[in-house]
Amino acid sequence: MEERTPVLEMRDIVKVYSDGTRALNGVTIKVYKGEIFGLLGENGAGKTTLMKILFGMLKPTAGKIFFQGSEVHFKSPADAIARGIGMVHQHFTLVEVFTALENIILGKEGHGLFSKIDVKNAKKKLQTLMDELNFQVPLDVPVENLPVGIQQRIEILKMLYRNVDVLILDEPTAVLTPIEVKELFDVLRKLKAQGKTIIFISHKLNEVMEITDRVTVIRKGKVIGTVNTSDATPQLLARMMVGRDVVLRIQKKPHKPGKTVFRVEDLWVKGDRGEDAVRGLSFEVKAGEIFGIAGVEGNGQSELIEAIAGLRDVEKGRVYLMGKDITGKKPRELYDMGIAHIPEDRTHMGLILEMSVMENAILGMYWRREFSNGWRLIDWGKVEGHAKELIDEFEIVAPGTRRPVKSLSGGNQQKLIVAREVSKRPEFIIAAQPTRGVDVASTEYIRNYLVKLRDEDKAVLLVSADLDEVLQLSDRMAIMYEGQFMGVVKPDEVTEEQIGLMMGGVSQ
Amino acid sequence: MNLSQSLRGYLKPFTESVLAILIGVLVGAIVLWASGYDAIAAYKALVVGSVSSLTNFAQTLSQSTPLILTALTFAVGSRTGLFNIGAEGTVYFGAIAAVGISQAIPNPLSGIIAGILVGALWALPAALLKVYRGVHEVISTIMLNWIAFYLAVWLALSVFVSPSNANRTVAIPPSARLPLLMRNTTLSWGFVVAVLTAIVVYVIMWHTKLGYEMRANGYNPRAAEYGGINPKAAAIWSFVIGGMTAGLAGAVQVMGVPPSYAISQGLANVYGYGFDGIGVSLVGRDHPIGIIFSGILFGALGAGATKMQQAGVPLEMVKVIEGIIIVAVAIPGLLDLINRMFRRGRV
Repeated sequence: MEERTPVLEMRDIVKVYSDGTRALNGVTIKVYKGEIFGLLGENGAGKTTLMKILFGMLKPTAGKIFFQGSEVHFKSPADAIARGIGMVHQHFTLVEVFTALENIILGKEGHGLFSKIDVKNAKKKLQTLMDELNFQVPLDVPVENLPVGIQQRIEILKMLYRNVDVLILDEPTAVLTPIEVKELFDVLRKLKAQGKTIIFISHKLNEVMEITDRVTVIRKGKVIGTVNTSDATPQLLARMMVGRDVVLRIQKKPHKPGKTVFRVEDLWVKGDRGEDAVRGLSFEVKAGEIFGIAGVEGNGQSELIEAIAGLRDVEKGRVYLMGKDITGKKPRELYDMGIAHIPEDRTHMGLILEMSVMENAILGMYWRREFSNGWRLIDWGKVEGHAKELIDEFEIVAPGTRRPVKSLSGGNQQKLIVAREVSKRPEFIIAAQPTRGVDVASTEYIRNYLVKLRDEDKAVLLVSADLDEVLQLSDRMAIMYEGQFMGVVKPDEVTEEQIGLMMGGVSQ
Repeated sequence: MNLSQSLRGYLKPFTESVLAILIGVLVGAIVLWASGYDAIAAYKALVVGSVSSLTNFAQTLSQSTPLILTALTFAVGSRTGLFNIGAEGTVYFGAIAAVGISQAIPNPLSGIIAGILVGALWALPAALLKVYRGVHEVISTIMLNWIAFYLAVWLALSVFVSPSNANRTVAIPPSARLPLLMRNTTLSWGFVVAVLTAIVVYVIMWHTKLGYEMRANGYNPRAAEYGGINPKAAAIWSFVIGGMTAGLAGAVQVMGVPPSYAISQGLANVYGYGFDGIGVSLVGRDHPIGIIFSGILFGALGAGATKMQQAGVPLEMVKVIEGIIIVAVAIPGLLDLINRMFRRGRV
């Protein structure tokens, strides 16, 4: 294999950011034509930086890039696309009010100010592309009305429409449901059959195992190794990625649940469009128990969490915490009564990215006496001490307590949220998507911590789109479908088939 | 508290502002020269008029007083996610309030309190429109400024008009005036009030729970609500605090500036400070302490302008230089460029 000439080679790439951070330390990768090449690493390992360099978004500090036999220096993404390299980012770059068609031809058709755009021809070309790949996208609907999975396809089409030979996908499955992931993989296989080269960036072992031909693992800005996927095992890749064997199964001792801490009675909640998102749910969470809610995203889980966390109106029904009616109470009251909430969207809700690490460390508890001085002003010394405690206890990698929290990697941001919520000393913890987009080591840490809270007799409500997570952690679990529970089961007494049926709306 | 770390945080905006000022002075010189004036003589006059003597410097500080206070209005808004340009109209009402109350209770404190309270009240329409009806504050404050202008002109000319001089309002009685800090100048205790207010605003913004709430809400209302903050209350407070400093600016301006101690025709002696304050705030990087310094700089430009006029350069040229400084601060691309040049020099 090594005798072939690679279609793309990045040689000894070094990237030092202006603040002195060494993101890449001499990384070399080779990608061959027509393969699906995996780039595996934890959050913060340098995967995205490397690809941004390839795509012309960042300038390497040192190193060379060879593409189709000659050295290239891309000054911008437009440069890279013109040479045949396209990228689909983790966060989409679509104009929300434009239709799919408008988004795809944006910047490609009709250059001069008054030149006419040949919509008909563009549509025909796109239709051919879609037929070849056997996937369809509604071309005339504004993008904001389309599900995430479709939006991603639009991004892919956008690149294919520009005739790229190499397609970079940055964590493409992070936002997708399991079914959408399967569909994406089908598309990728077809593209490969057409001779396209695909670079698949991920930190999910199973996906890399399933879809890639070869995989290069990077860790802390260095290449750890490259293997043929057929020779690899998830355990091997995990070891390469984190430098030790990751316990992929959580150790959980049996634990006897105590009295009921949290209870919901016939809860109805409306969604943003006025639809009934939660339809008459009743359940309870006991002390020393993790109650999991699984299900395909968008079945009312978000609305349920927001309603019980005081962020959305309850239409009907009651919510109780330790026997007290807390329906309609505001977040501040709820926190003071012993609720903590790890929100599903850490960048838009759990943290204020522009504010410092220590300012974020007191979000939702800044009013507490322990952070005030004698003048009732915020005592930043105490706040900083608190932030440092969180950082130490949860082994958070942070450049400093006064730096903006956005300078932390995703996994460390999430750990900070978990640390902060736990430091509220709650009786009841809502953990929504607690490990989404988080690296393997942090995921393991957070999951073990939730189990520890349970062992300390706290009540934990876990809501996650990651079925494995719910299965591993929960003592009891419910599967949510269109605002209702299809069944409440014990994870070790249920088969995958039964869960699959319930996720598809078949009540058990 | 890590002193060097926080110092470094201040150093960057400070250097950037100083660079912008230098660029303003330089480009201003080119404009002067191109318009056929003697740039060197003009700048000499500016410096002489603003800092050459204690009296002149007092004049500088006096001119900076209302600017510091109106800049605080904009800064509070800007730090809490608002583009509040309502200071202009609020200043008029602050002045009217001080004139009015001093007729009934003639002492300085009552005037100051009245200015602050009326400023807070006049902030409410824009605040409530924003919070409950989603009206953008730029639209509402611009329109409210005009309402304030004509309302204030009417109040000045009908309700509070001086019986002896139809061109101005009744004067603030001597016992209600802010005492002068220096004889034969216009520098009064108003300047001290402005500096103290800047410090109070700094403490509110960065050392109180309210400040934390307002800033958090400005960055991300959704996260603020999650964090136990009432987003509506936080937004209303940032309008109200801004209104208070602008109202105070108006009050201090009539209570502290001799000889008239009254509002002149067409609100001439309280007009324009609200808008000038935006520039002062930008150059002071929307930071209360930075605003004290940039306020003094703009005060110096104002005080020196008179001298410059005597040197044969029209008053308006000072506004041109001010404008260039503000543009220089406001162009982030330019500053990034300067930054990169600096970095290349260092590495």
